[in-house]
Amino acid sequence: MITSFLMRSFDRSILIAVAILVGLAMLVPALNLLTAPDHPLHVPTYLVSLFGKYLTYALLALALDLVWGFCGILSLGHAAFFALGGYAMGMYLMRQIGARGSYGNPLLPDFMVFLNWKELPWFWHGFDMFWFAALMVVLVPGLLAFVFGWFAFRSRVNGVYLSIITQAMTYALLLAFFRNDMGFGGNNGLTDFKDILGFNIQADGTRAALFAASALMLALCLILSSAIVRSKYGKVLVAVRDAESRTRFLGYRVEHIKLFAFTVSAMMAGIAGALYVPQVGIINPGEFEPGNSIEVVIWTAVGGRGTLIGPIVGAILVNGGKSIFTAAFPEFWLFALGGLFVLVTLFLPKGVVGTAGAYLARRRAQRKAQADQMPDNLAAEPMAAE
Amino acid sequence: MYRILQILFVALCLLISAHVVGSRAADDLGVLVDQLGAAKLSDMDDRIAALAKTGDAKVIPVLEALGEGELYQRKSDGKVFLVKAGGADLQLVDPVTGADAGATPKAAMQKVKVNNAVRRAVRSALGGLTLFSEDTGARLKAAQSMLQTPNADALEAIETAIAAEKDGSVRKVLVEARAVTLLVSDRPDDQKRQAIALLAEGNGRNGLAVLTSALATADVSLKPDIEAAIARIEQTQAFWSAGQNVWYGLSLGSVLLLAAIGLAITFGVMGIINMAHGEMVMLGAYTTFLVQEVVRNSYPELFDWSLAIALPLAFLVTGAVGLAIERGVIRFLYGRPLETLLATWGISLILQQSVRSIFGPTNREVGNPSWMSGAFDLGGLTITWNRLWIIVFALAVFAALLFLLKRTSMGLKMRAVTQNRRMASSMGIRTPWVDALTFALGSGIAGMAGVALSQIDNVSPNLGQGYIIDSFMVVVFGGVGNLWGTLVGAFSLGILNKFLEPYAGAVLGKILVLVLIILFIQKKPRGLFALKGRAVEA
Amino acid sequence: MNQTIGQTRPTSLLYLDGVSVSFDGFKALNALSFVIEPGELRAIIGPNGAGKTTMMDIITGKTRPDEGQVFFKGEIDLTKKDEAEIASLGIGRKFQKPTVFESHTVWDNLELALNRKRGVFPTLFYRLTAEDRARIEEILVTIRMSSRRDDLAANLSHGQKQWLEIGMLLAQEPELLLVDEPVAGMTDAETAETAILLKEIARTRSVVVVEHDMGFIRELGVKVTCLAEGAVLAEGSIDFVSSDPKVIENYLGR
Repeated sequence: MITSFLMRSFDRSILIAVAILVGLAMLVPALNLLTAPDHPLHVPTYLVSLFGKYLTYALLALALDLVWGFCGILSLGHAAFFALGGYAMGMYLMRQIGARGSYGNPLLPDFMVFLNWKELPWFWHGFDMFWFAALMVVLVPGLLAFVFGWFAFRSRVNGVYLSIITQAMTYALLLAFFRNDMGFGGNNGLTDFKDILGFNIQADGTRAALFAASALMLALCLILSSAIVRSKYGKVLVAVRDAESRTRFLGYRVEHIKLFAFTVSAMMAGIAGALYVPQVGIINPGEFEPGNSIEVVIWTAVGGRGTLIGPIVGAILVNGGKSIFTAAFPEFWLFALGGLFVLVTLFLPKGVVGTAGAYLARRRAQRKAQADQMPDNLAAEPMAAE
Repeated sequence: MYRILQILFVALCLLISAHVVGSRAADDLGVLVDQLGAAKLSDMDDRIAALAKTGDAKVIPVLEALGEGELYQRKSDGKVFLVKAGGADLQLVDPVTGADAGATPKAAMQKVKVNNAVRRAVRSALGGLTLFSEDTGARLKAAQSMLQTPNADALEAIETAIAAEKDGSVRKVLVEARAVTLLVSDRPDDQKRQAIALLAEGNGRNGLAVLTSALATADVSLKPDIEAAIARIEQTQAFWSAGQNVWYGLSLGSVLLLAAIGLAITFGVMGIINMAHGEMVMLGAYTTFLVQEVVRNSYPELFDWSLAIALPLAFLVTGAVGLAIERGVIRFLYGRPLETLLATWGISLILQQSVRSIFGPTNREVGNPSWMSGAFDLGGLTITWNRLWIIVFALAVFAALLFLLKRTSMGLKMRAVTQNRRMASSMGIRTPWVDALTFALGSGIAGMAGVALSQIDNVSPNLGQGYIIDSFMVVVFGGVGNLWGTLVGAFSLGILNKFLEPYAGAVLGKILVLVLIILFIQKKPRGLFALKGRAVEA
Repeated sequence: MNQTIGQTRPTSLLYLDGVSVSFDGFKALNALSFVIEPGELRAIIGPNGAGKTTMMDIITGKTRPDEGQVFFKGEIDLTKKDEAEIASLGIGRKFQKPTVFESHTVWDNLELALNRKRGVFPTLFYRLTAEDRARIEEILVTIRMSSRRDDLAANLSHGQKQWLEIGMLLAQEPELLLVDEPVAGMTDAETAETAILLKEIARTRSVVVVEHDMGFIRELGVKVTCLAEGAVLAEGSIDFVSSDPKVIENYLGR
């Protein structure tokens, strides 16, 4: 049953995208590790981490697209799920530091020693084990999304109301994580990581492996999303997006349909955050900033919501642009980003991929129509009469 | 009349003292002052007290000079002089007569030593002396200092002052100061009991500290009285602190109302999600800054009017920006609220960055006009003028808006268009214009809010961002499309916030309020004052 | 009236008694009572604001009545259930404005409507069986859209959307079908075809049709209930109802 479910996911565009991602997962580390630094094809380590960061953003955008593009739920809280996944990974990395921190405490992370704490808070237990942290990376965002969605969807909070309360949720979390006594490092967050699974986090090899992991995880989530979207459940999702009450009158429990997508999406966002943190080396409350969540929306919109490739393309395009722009004219990045929001919503509602896809489909239809007309003019006539 | 009485009183005092100490008074004073120079630091207290006991007004400059370290002793004969700094030499002034006593090289003089204990003694002695000053303000200050640092030695001076005092407010403080001082003195218990009763009646900010410390040392027979008085004061204080919370809550509520009221039009009435709303507030605040710059540089005498000038300007500026946004972007997105949200977010980024590029990223200085500075006491409450005016202003804007919507033809058109666009359009209402003007109105009101908020918040490019989530919460909580809901929503959220703060802290309080709103929306998705019926479903 | 209606409850398919609902003081339904027998085709007429759509909202669980009873098959209390539950019980509804899933193909629209398990996991792992395929083909023939199965619903004409929606209701296999103004905006030919279609459908299930078009109702030739101001004004054959002076006064006009 599972295999047939997953097999269905492969159509041509997904196959190509997955192949590219797997290829990148092998090629980029190889070019980084196996070529000499002066070789023309050498990829420096900082670029490996930068591209790795883009891929985690792409995964976050894909997660948002699953609920926004396919189900019409505009969540302005996905940065929160991303950050929660990131914190779970950050807690693991903090525990790995052990006695190597500046205070040399084998159990407590530096910031706790600094705050004069005597013992580890209960919610920090277990994070010294990778499997536990990995589980929390999906469970914590998933649980928050489940509980939040359970209440929101059951009371039929939808449209902009949902957007506003997801934003309020992010904001509340932002304020909470800024507090020192929450036990997550307050303002400074978690940083100064030493190693992951025993490998030095700064080493080229680890960086390359993290990149490969990001690419493969993105490919995996792409396959999963594609399988979901192409199943009958995926069709129900779109049905909910287009005509929610019709779906209800057909007997579907819209709140359950939405809740599943929202929870899966939050889990994917959590995974993205967990891959992001070791590559940038820090997680702090700034990741909960409501503006971040809205930025994810624009990546998805630029690429094309309601397509699976779109958000990936969009996240890489916008963030690549941001890296180039902020280096060249830092003053103007916000103008460019703001302009992008306005222009995309006004002139490119389907996004780059969606517009290109529609164009190709029209071309194909025209060619087909021409081909049909050639041999048999009569057969086409009843169609025209309609 | 009052003035004459005062002079008479001073004359009377002088007469009495002259009668008692006779003609030796002037000499005596000179001796006492000279003794300051010879005294050890440990003896200074007594010497200062002796000086203060003379009650002579001439003592004031001497003590002041001592506190400031401007009192010198002549090495040759031990005589003490006031000193005015003048070039290399010191200008001497006779402390008793006030006459010029010529210049002397620095080497011939020695400074009278002071330390903190001496300074304290000087201050309290001066307090006693300034109780008889001719300046009401100085007397009030002296009385307050006696109230804060009770000193048994000053008791008689206070009592004399009470008898002489004609100014009501000074007298009130003096009476309280007497009661406080009495408790630390060795007066009989029944007088103390009266004092305790008196302290229990007041709102007792100082009384509580005095009573608590008196509890430890007091006679056993007095203890029940003191305990009862403490309980009484604590009760009064709890009452006033609840009152203070309500006041802070009203104040926060008025800020929320100001921030949200424009949104109640654009979001509540028109259904447009304007994420650039906060930036309209910010633009209003920057308009105020510009107006004040011009006023400061060219017409400083108009400074108190700067806000009145800024108000209409801010309305016009942000209204025009709003009009441009509606015509340029939003009108293409009607019926697509999520897209509107994104586009206006983009606009907010652009506006923020524009302001940052023009005015810089740092806070700009916006001043309070004189009628908005300062504070006054109301019972146990301290009420600042700027907060009070902002509440008044918020309510005035609310009332004006309500009037505009319910009583004018423009308001009628607005309501018609939002309720049934097609019907309104077929009645000959030019709906696109009504949309544009309604949006401009909402934006203009946000700008006026910005003028008010510039008085209590930092004027920076990020000003608006702090308000956007709160304002949406207020509108959604109050019920979309209902102005009264926005009013009630703003004030109840403000008060709730301020009542949670003492228990949970400011940040946790805010988080709690957000969580409560999220839960509330689950329960009543349409807000506090929801519209019902078929129209809502569409 | 309540006395007589009370006795019919056990045998009825749909039973409404004394149903009232108001919005902000406006009484949309005022003690509305009527009964639909199993297998019956019933037409409901009435002026705008008579409460026809509100009545459908109440039967399908979209609106809760302030008071009154609504029972399905004599014992299932519909006022305690929500839309999805009521739909699964076998009550289908067609909206006034044709509502189909525009970004899905005609085939997918019908597949979604098909009466199968509708939970998250059954739909996630659903595979189209030969039986389901045959059923969809059958419905495509019934609604005369076999040739357009792969077209997006968005590209259909207004009348075709109406039919597709009726087809979706058939796929739902309801015991009771509520149809709101099925021929609004249709050509005369389409109207006549729709009447035939509905009569065909009514052979296997009960149908309630809300309609303004008197010609169409005459064509259906069934028992008619006339609503006004949220209550039943008259009930009977089309000729009986259309000659009732109150109906003429309220609805048909003189």
